[in-house]
Amino acid sequence: MAAEAAKDLSIQELEKEGQWWWIAEKKRSRRLDYLRKAVWKKGALGGNYAPGIKVDLEMPTLFTNMYNWWKYDPPMLRRAKALAHVLDNIGIFITDQAQLVGYFGSMPNTIAWRLDGASIVNEELYNEPGIMPEPEEESLKKVAELNSYWSGNTAVDKLARVLDPEDAVKFLSGAIGWGAPTSAYGYSGKDYEYIFAGRRGFLDIIEEIDANIEGAEDRTMGMPGPDILPLYERLQNWDAMKLILEAAIRYAGRYARLARTIAENFETDPKRKEELIRLAESCETVPAHAPQTFQQSLQYDHFIQIICRLEAHEGAWPARPDYYHWPMYDKDVNIEKNITGEEAMDLVGEFMIRAYEVGGFGPRWAREGLQGITGTWVWTLGGVNQDGSDACNDLTLAFLKAARLVRVSNPTFGFRWHPKVSDKIMREVFECIRHGLGYPSIRNDPLLIQNSMHWHGHPLEEARTWVHQACMSPCPTTKHGVQPMRMASATANCAKMVEYALHNGYDHVVQMQMGPRTGDARKYTDFEQLFSAWVQQMEWIMNTLVRTVNLGRFKDPEFYGRPFLSATYERAVESGLDAVSPVGERGNCWVTFFTWVENADSLAAVKKLVFDEKKYTMTQLMDALEANWEGCEKMRLDFVNGAPKWGNDDDYVDDLMIRCLREVARHSREMKCPCGNSWPALPENVSGNIHYASIVGALPNGRRLGDALYDGGISPGPGLDKNGPSAVLKSCGKIDHVGDGRAFLLNQRLSPTQMAGEKGYQLWKAYMRTWADLGLDHVQFNMVSDETLRAAQKDPEKYQEVIVRVAGYSAHFVDISRKTQDNIIQRTIQGI
Amino acid sequence: MATECKECKSFFPMNENPEKGDCVQRVVDPRQAYYKARPVDAGADASKCGTFSKK
Amino acid sequence: MKCTECGFEAPVQNFRYLYNARIDASISLRQCPQCQARLAVDELAGEATQKVGDGEAPWGKSAGIEGLAEDNAS
Repeated sequence: MAAEAAKDLSIQELEKEGQWWWIAEKKRSRRLDYLRKAVWKKGALGGNYAPGIKVDLEMPTLFTNMYNWWKYDPPMLRRAKALAHVLDNIGIFITDQAQLVGYFGSMPNTIAWRLDGASIVNEELYNEPGIMPEPEEESLKKVAELNSYWSGNTAVDKLARVLDPEDAVKFLSGAIGWGAPTSAYGYSGKDYEYIFAGRRGFLDIIEEIDANIEGAEDRTMGMPGPDILPLYERLQNWDAMKLILEAAIRYAGRYARLARTIAENFETDPKRKEELIRLAESCETVPAHAPQTFQQSLQYDHFIQIICRLEAHEGAWPARPDYYHWPMYDKDVNIEKNITGEEAMDLVGEFMIRAYEVGGFGPRWAREGLQGITGTWVWTLGGVNQDGSDACNDLTLAFLKAARLVRVSNPTFGFRWHPKVSDKIMREVFECIRHGLGYPSIRNDPLLIQNSMHWHGHPLEEARTWVHQACMSPCPTTKHGVQPMRMASATANCAKMVEYALHNGYDHVVQMQMGPRTGDARKYTDFEQLFSAWVQQMEWIMNTLVRTVNLGRFKDPEFYGRPFLSATYERAVESGLDAVSPVGERGNCWVTFFTWVENADSLAAVKKLVFDEKKYTMTQLMDALEANWEGCEKMRLDFVNGAPKWGNDDDYVDDLMIRCLREVARHSREMKCPCGNSWPALPENVSGNIHYASIVGALPNGRRLGDALYDGGISPGPGLDKNGPSAVLKSCGKIDHVGDGRAFLLNQRLSPTQMAGEKGYQLWKAYMRTWADLGLDHVQFNMVSDETLRAAQKDPEKYQEVIVRVAGYSAHFVDISRKTQDNIIQRTIQGI
Repeated sequence: MATECKECKSFFPMNENPEKGDCVQRVVDPRQAYYKARPVDAGADASKCGTFSKK
Repeated sequence: MKCTECGFEAPVQNFRYLYNARIDASISLRQCPQCQARLAVDELAGEATQKVGDGEAPWGKSAGIEGLAEDNAS
């Protein structure tokens, strides 16, 4: 619907039409409307950046200059000095009407380039026409200079030199998984308990560091012995932490100065002048001191997130804003009534917008796997307090309401459901889903707390602090629970397990012997031979990925180093070790399982049609697969429709799914992370199902090379769940969501018509009761009609704001590729 | 004598050290309007600056 | 197979396979090597049936759309 036409319709009429984006425009404040429309979208459209987006060369230049200057310093101190130089000198800006500040590029339309992470990423810059700042020739020259400096010196380059060469080649082949085993990319959890619950400002932390330095110096001047030897390195690390905290305070001070300069010299509106003075006071208070107001609380959080992103390419945003900002919200809105609910709503909405505008440069393969957005900012809402009581509050409601007003695709929310959540909150959760946002995803809080204790041994109170570390995986925000690095870089392209089991470990797509030689499938005479090969290939893929990531984590303080992150971690401040060091962390790893369900469906098809019914021979099947099913359409359809498929409550295939998962769980316990803990599996996909479409060969579930894979986690294949929503839930409920893995993603599509009004809410609530009763840990919904989505394909300009749930994240529908769009539309719409 | 940043309308000295300051400029891009700042020395050469505007 | 747009004729495998939007249907999307049109192809019959434009879905609507997917679980 065009903007002009929408303006003439009432909110009721627009609701009837499901035109939620126009409703948002009508309902939100003028400030939020301006700020929302002011954002330069950084998510790639399909694979390309939007016109006007430019890579920022200021940070890379400033960082490199100072990094080179301090070449004889130890890793953490060297990086601290380079980052401090960036904080002191990078261009900053304050957008009109903004009350929160902080961005990691020097202008609003820029994307940051993390150049010390991997040369293979740096080289991708040359393949991106249009993103070089003008004059292009000069920028390209600068990029070449920087690349020449970093070539061979990035974190991944250094790691590649110590990895086993065979592991390195296979890990980097792109066939069996993705991710970079370094803290330069990925994400870090934040020690919110230390910073926010502990009410510490950076000056408080500096005081703690000074005391530690003093204590250590006393010892290094005292009795000689092996116990004092590690202290020399730690003293330098503490210096680095202190140095970067001081720089962060100065960085905030620069914003304060700019806000005052604008207020005193340019601004004529007295109300805006007042806001700018308040903004200046905010930046003079935080991060130096603990926040005193709601605005300062949000600003403090945002500064920490932005500086972490200046230090490393953070692809996720683990946060729990309704929990950690609640004390200041309660004080300002409810107790002291310093601001109104509407004013607080402006701040909450802008807080989301400030995160939405964040975007860094990513190579094409990463952008294809995460279409439409630049990272998975899944913020956690709801849940319980550490004593087990309901943690939902007015701020939970405010975030859920703000989401419908600003309608951003990033951040999204994961809602920690538990039986004590009030009906009032559940209605707001449902409204977000009904408005087509695709979020919050719903998480089963009691079950996931149990799961955290089972797999990683988190004590109960620690487990109850959990946030989404990325899309799905729960991770605590405590001293020993918080995780500093994307250990999920062991992300497996699981469809290769069955593919390699059928092809003797050979990969016909990348044309390389990848897995072990487990036998010629043409000679298999019973299903157990195939299954045994599958187990070996599964273990090989997991081992290869985990070995690489373990080594990356272990060597990271030497090859990369996170001074700022360390300065915000209690355990690092206390020990003087890099936050990424495994020492002091309990361990919270998981292997992300992309393209998982294809295994169960493929194995079931072979078992039934080849070994049980003997309708086809293994030779016929292998011939068809090698021909990519070309010329075998009748047989292909038989493998799709004549064999049971996951998600229909059919024990034949469901039992196989459980059998596979139990083998994985067994092996997850055998592998250990650098902290000595387990590596459970977590099936989910982002848009890896599209990225891997051209990497996974033909499979016995009827899929050809080139076809999208299933949409992920434990979601049934699109359109293959033919027995309705209860059958899907029953199949998924056969999985032990505590012992079989870390978490299990489930996508479901519901009908906007059926979900309308009070009746729709009651139907959904009953569905959610079944979901909880069956013990599932996750579900997320798309609730946009085929009609709207097809119209958006036809006329994308008119449907710029339609949002869909892709997998563990949401995206604007028009920003994702046609293949992904078609894949989403083909998901079954369940009548509940 | 070369033109220096401190002579420019965009230069705002720091209270604690007037020899250093911010170059503050108004920018209106296709999506938003904002003020940007970047640190400069008061005595920096501004003769080649395309946005220099004498106080 | 004959392209519905430009009339180019060649064996079906010479038309570049793009993808199959519905795994349980025999209609796939292929590209004509001559005019680059995206074609809906009936893989059983080996025939191009139409050009696929923006917003068109010759393989049918989402499962469940014609009457929601019924709850048949016991």
